[in-house]
Amino acid sequence: MKLGSGIRKVLRHPPGARAVERDVDAELAFHVETRVDVLMARGLTREAADAQARREFGDLREARDEIAAIDRGRVGRERREDWWEAMRQDVRFAARALARRPSFLAITVLTLALGIGANAAIFSVVDAALLKPLPYADPDRLVSVWPEGAMMPGIFVEVRNGTRTLAPIAGYSGGVAVSMTGAAEPARLVQSDVTSRFFDVLGVKAEVGRTLVEGEDLPGRDRVAVLGHALWQQRFGGDRAVIGRSVVINGIARTVVGVMPRGFRFPSPDIDFWVPVSLDPSPANIGPYWGTSHLNVVGRLRPGVSVRQAEQEIATLVDRSRASFPWRMPDAWGKNVTVVPLERRVTGDVGPMLVVLFGSVAVVLLIACVNVANLLLSRAAAREREIAIRASLGAGRGRIVRQLLTESVMLALLGGLVGLGVGAAGVRALLLLLPAGMPRVTEVAIDGRVLAFTMVIALATGVTFGLAPALRASRPTLQTVLGATRNAGGSLARRRLSEWLVVAQIALGVVLVAGAGLLIKSFWRLHQVELGFRPEQVIAADIPIPSFPSDTAVRAQAFYEAVLERARTMPGVTSAALASVLPFGGTGSMQSSFASELEANPLPPGAPAPMLVRTVVSDDYFKTLGIPLLRGRSFDAADRSGASAVALVDDLTARRLWPNAEAIGQRFRPVWVKSWITVVGVVGTVKRDSLSSAGEVSVYLPMGRTAGFNFSTQMTLVVRGTGDLSALRSGVRGAVAAVDPTVPVNAVRPLEDLVSNSAARARFTMLLLATFAAVALTLGAVGIYGVVAYAVVRRTREIGVRMALGARATDVLGMVLREGGTLAAAGVTLGIIGAFGASRVLAGFLFGVTPNDPAVFIAVPTLLGLVAIGACLIPARRAARVDPMVALRSD
Amino acid sequence: MPQAGDLTLLQGTLDVLVLKALVFGARHGYAVASWIRETSDETLNVEDRALYVALHRLEDRGWVESEWGLSENNRKAKYYQLTPRGRAQLRAETTRWTTYAEAVFKVLGAAS
Repeated sequence: MKLGSGIRKVLRHPPGARAVERDVDAELAFHVETRVDVLMARGLTREAADAQARREFGDLREARDEIAAIDRGRVGRERREDWWEAMRQDVRFAARALARRPSFLAITVLTLALGIGANAAIFSVVDAALLKPLPYADPDRLVSVWPEGAMMPGIFVEVRNGTRTLAPIAGYSGGVAVSMTGAAEPARLVQSDVTSRFFDVLGVKAEVGRTLVEGEDLPGRDRVAVLGHALWQQRFGGDRAVIGRSVVINGIARTVVGVMPRGFRFPSPDIDFWVPVSLDPSPANIGPYWGTSHLNVVGRLRPGVSVRQAEQEIATLVDRSRASFPWRMPDAWGKNVTVVPLERRVTGDVGPMLVVLFGSVAVVLLIACVNVANLLLSRAAAREREIAIRASLGAGRGRIVRQLLTESVMLALLGGLVGLGVGAAGVRALLLLLPAGMPRVTEVAIDGRVLAFTMVIALATGVTFGLAPALRASRPTLQTVLGATRNAGGSLARRRLSEWLVVAQIALGVVLVAGAGLLIKSFWRLHQVELGFRPEQVIAADIPIPSFPSDTAVRAQAFYEAVLERARTMPGVTSAALASVLPFGGTGSMQSSFASELEANPLPPGAPAPMLVRTVVSDDYFKTLGIPLLRGRSFDAADRSGASAVALVDDLTARRLWPNAEAIGQRFRPVWVKSWITVVGVVGTVKRDSLSSAGEVSVYLPMGRTAGFNFSTQMTLVVRGTGDLSALRSGVRGAVAAVDPTVPVNAVRPLEDLVSNSAARARFTMLLLATFAAVALTLGAVGIYGVVAYAVVRRTREIGVRMALGARATDVLGMVLREGGTLAAAGVTLGIIGAFGASRVLAGFLFGVTPNDPAVFIAVPTLLGLVAIGACLIPARRAARVDPMVALRSD
Repeated sequence: MPQAGDLTLLQGTLDVLVLKALVFGARHGYAVASWIRETSDETLNVEDRALYVALHRLEDRGWVESEWGLSENNRKAKYYQLTPRGRAQLRAETTRWTTYAEAVFKVLGAAS
């Protein structure tokens, strides 16, 4: 028998599981038979010997199973080792092959890094905003009630008492700016007013102390506060002894009862602390309780309750609460009750925008893939002989495909690695660009999830762009390649494939560029919108109410008037005014709307009361903002004293409320008061909330004691000046400090910023899509250039022959351009079809542009066509310069 | 072949005996079993099943390797032989055993 080198071979080809058992059986059979031989030699009969041999051995089957299990483990391990060994070989080989062509390596890795990095960056935003579950207990049981509006406290209490589907349920207000005084120096902070079960609904416990307990949202028990983690760290140094200390917020002393854990930021990241909302149903509070203050509502579905069931129940409860109102509500009111998963509410309407961006960035990656696939294809052509030799040496097709795929996956992983760097830079850039109000923006980062995503797309990318070239390259038969010295035109099938890739690339480019074109045009349209006021040379500063006890509205007004007086007399100031809310001020009109009654149009029982939006302003507001007074008069000092209740309306409101009469002299009132307010003037209509929205029915009330409204809002100072605005900024701070140094003034900014912020999301989407389109265009141009240039090189000999036969340089130029042009035309045609489909998706983002905007759909294909022709021109001119003698000798 | 007075093998002893059995060249399982029994003057009796499990375990550890061959009685048999690692293992185990046995002897032979 011969052992030694043979064993190696056995190990290299391990048997399968079946074979393992067969081997063990044979081995044991040999043992038993040999024993039988020995026993028979001692004189036993065959039967007796056989029986004794088996008895001696014991249970053969059990032994077989035990031994086979050992062998199977070994065989499996060896197979895995072989696989890894082959892998190591492939990787080593691929690394050497790539290292031989550093420029090819650099171009492909950079192209891929660009595509992968852009995807990683966008994914990090998409992941934070849309994919990651909310950081609350059982987040999919959380629902938001009535998301587009908000509930008056009175209704909230009725719903809370009545609901059987949501437990618990809570109300909260979005952030309001307040001033905190007391221990340290005054600070302007953001507060959210919440009902007692708010933290229980979300299922988040306090890190230190406690959250609110039931009943703390009732008057008398509501003087407590729960701090956010950041505020606790910054203002109280993370001291646990803060529990029980007193802080003064807008003049009200509250006891700190708890600190929330880091990362708790509901309802928005800028919230510094939470206080109980006071659910005060007393007559003195009737306006806010039933009319002017609003709560967002969040609840937790009881087990087994569906969102739909909850919605039906809440709708019934809200409708029933209509009867509890102290006045008649419009019939249309309360009909639009919706219950949606909280996640959707948090995500808001950014979903579609992110999906569009994600789709676009995926297209960029696809285009990058096509480029790399084309590069690999032409490289494979150059390696045909090498591959053929490997095949002739016994490498199977699978082995060759695997080898080539290893190479492309390695390229992709390298691209992914560099792409992560690109992505990290991209995320930093995105964070600067992201529009305000982007949900969960603080969670945007390159984390494990983004890392995993990047590696997965890198792998998928490597397979995607590597597979077709690998399959193609592994196909040629030995004779054709080894026989022919050089194949003049390159394999026809391969050329077809790369031509199709270029067509696809141009088509994708057209889709992206068309999308970007539509967004750019609509952004431009947005800037053409008439604002109705002149924001340039105006600065705005939010000035919180100083820390007076809350009931001294007179002192608050005196403070604001003193600030206004100082601001007005600052050098360089032409006029100054105060307003409760500015156009584009970010405060939803919901917060300041109220049910009203018109004298000319008495409310019959059952008729809906019109909802008006109020803006409280000082005398010079219209002059400062440049809003024209169309008819009647503006406010004066007498109005401020509260002697006569007067109001101004804008043009739009005048026409809506009194369509057949002159608005001046008309009277209206909030439904809960007796005295009338007289309209004394009509001013121009301004855009209030955003550039694209329609106007609200709004009235201007003079700053002062207007019946029915507590003077409780913070005011914003607006100053129109000449020259440098930054001097005015510090001037404003100084003016406030001179009147009351405890009042913090943080946000002082040009009014123009507020306006442009409202277009921030449009700008963001447009900028990103335009960037992607530019990248797509560049990659597309490089792609078509590469393919045409390569074709020219491959056909140098043919071109030489043509020229030798009398073709002129212009003929050759034309021929190459024609071929490139055909590809471009096919790509552009397909792209236009695709763009028509894709632009439907964009419809929701467009303003003043239809998805089929003819200008865009003419300009974009023309642009792409020109770029494609331009990219072909370089190789075409090179072809035209071919020297027939050199070309013919080249082979 | 159970006989009265057999010694039960100590844990791990079987492996070193099998390795030793292979030190003179490739053997199949039956030969290994016979050699151990004969060499120990029939004192050490190895259970057949345990022997084969040991052989395959040693192969799994890379101390022996196997190949099919023809036996003396012209049957197909699986032959085992030591690998270089197996040889080293045998040397290490032999030293360990000798040291151990000497120590035990010393203790048992001590004159109080």
